[in-house]
Amino acid sequence: MIDRRAAHQGAPADDGPIYADSFLVVTRTHQPDGLRFSGEIDINNSSAVAEALRRGFPNGGDHHIDLRSLLFCDISGIRAFVDAGRELEPGHQLRLHGLPKPLERVMQVTGWSDLPWLAMCTCTMDQE
Amino acid sequence: MSARLESVQAFRHEALLYSGWEEFILGTLPFIRNGLNAHEAILVVVSAEKRAVLRTALDRDADRVLFADMAQVGSNPALIIPAWQAFVRKHGSTAAGLRGIGEPIWKGRPDDELAECQRHESLLNVAFAGGRPWRLLCPYDMAQLDEAVITEARKSHEFVNEAGTSAPSETFRGVEACREPFSQPLPEPDHRFDEFVFSESDLASVRDMALRQAHAARMPEPRARDLVAALNEIATNALMHGAGRCGLRIWRDQGKLICEVRNSGSFDHPLADRQEPGPEASSPRGLWLANQLCDMVQIRALSDGTAVRVHMRTDTGVDRNLMHGHQVEPERTDRLN
Repeated sequence: MIDRRAAHQGAPADDGPIYADSFLVVTRTHQPDGLRFSGEIDINNSSAVAEALRRGFPNGGDHHIDLRSLLFCDISGIRAFVDAGRELEPGHQLRLHGLPKPLERVMQVTGWSDLPWLAMCTCTMDQE
Repeated sequence: MSARLESVQAFRHEALLYSGWEEFILGTLPFIRNGLNAHEAILVVVSAEKRAVLRTALDRDADRVLFADMAQVGSNPALIIPAWQAFVRKHGSTAAGLRGIGEPIWKGRPDDELAECQRHESLLNVAFAGGRPWRLLCPYDMAQLDEAVITEARKSHEFVNEAGTSAPSETFRGVEACREPFSQPLPEPDHRFDEFVFSESDLASVRDMALRQAHAARMPEPRARDLVAALNEIATNALMHGAGRCGLRIWRDQGKLICEVRNSGSFDHPLADRQEPGPEASSPRGLWLANQLCDMVQIRALSDGTAVRVHMRTDTGVDRNLMHGHQVEPERTDRLN
């Protein structure tokens, strides 16, 4: 059984979430500025993920995404990240931090691991 | 016979009906040698034992032939067409011609795998129709296989080679019939199953149910996560393409966990589960993903809808070198002495 309580721990307390439903909470991170996705993404909330990615980065540059507490992400969710990265200015990347192993594997077999605008990083964002 | 006469104008899919080693070698070795004489690229995908025998028989020329292990490439029959497509793509523009030998059906393959292999043989005609001409020879061991398997081989191959003679198969079902949705019934589970009717908002429960069953069956964690990812996509597809709610059943069967999703929709994309997705974000990926992550995926067009069964062994499974782009990884030609 996926322990969904764990997903909501560690979210910054001072900033309200920019999106929340029963399975997913999206919060802002600082240093680097970015978004943290905690919980599960599937067809029920992947359009909200796409919307958060559109609204969450008012400035240009690389976009930092903290996925350490992402427990599940389906193809529609990955597609939201891929699309968000594609829309960045040339030379900039959507940097996925703490990508969980099962998700990395899904991205590899679906041909989404070698896109120039996506960087997969297994570090935690604190080390940046 | 000269190489010119040997060249083909279309995909030539031929069954080699043989009995015993002698007929196997007499049926395959000249096929390989003709290809070598015509400077064709050749890929042989058979068992380890047969590869060893062919290597020995080819002697020095074995280095000019690509070999791969059918136990690995074809453990999931839906991965064989992508492997042949990779071969054709890689060598199609440089080699004078292309030929392959593939033996996905052997005595002792479980019935469910056999059914998928037979479907695969039919779909080969669809996958390569109208494309780069090449020849594929599929050996069938008449001494070991049931008569019904041979009868089906005559239906799924346009040509049949037996007793040294190659001729059009009188019972070939034709490319159009191969394209028809696969409606062969699936056996009902022998074992107790868990059942769940789900709609879009229940997908998390679908995942939980599969994960709980995988854990109960002591499936290694990475495989359990693969199964959950695959099942989630199949359940999502079922919801998108069906009307209303869908059914899930999960049961254990001989060292495997089987998850079945049913919906009321129809499914008419014969190659959808074996087409490598393009880089564009919109290209579908769910069934491809399921075939890559799980041991086998069965899709059936039934009178009341579509059923998809995902099979996952509860042990460590077969290493299919998934991280190498699903290509056939030809073995280095370590010749047997």
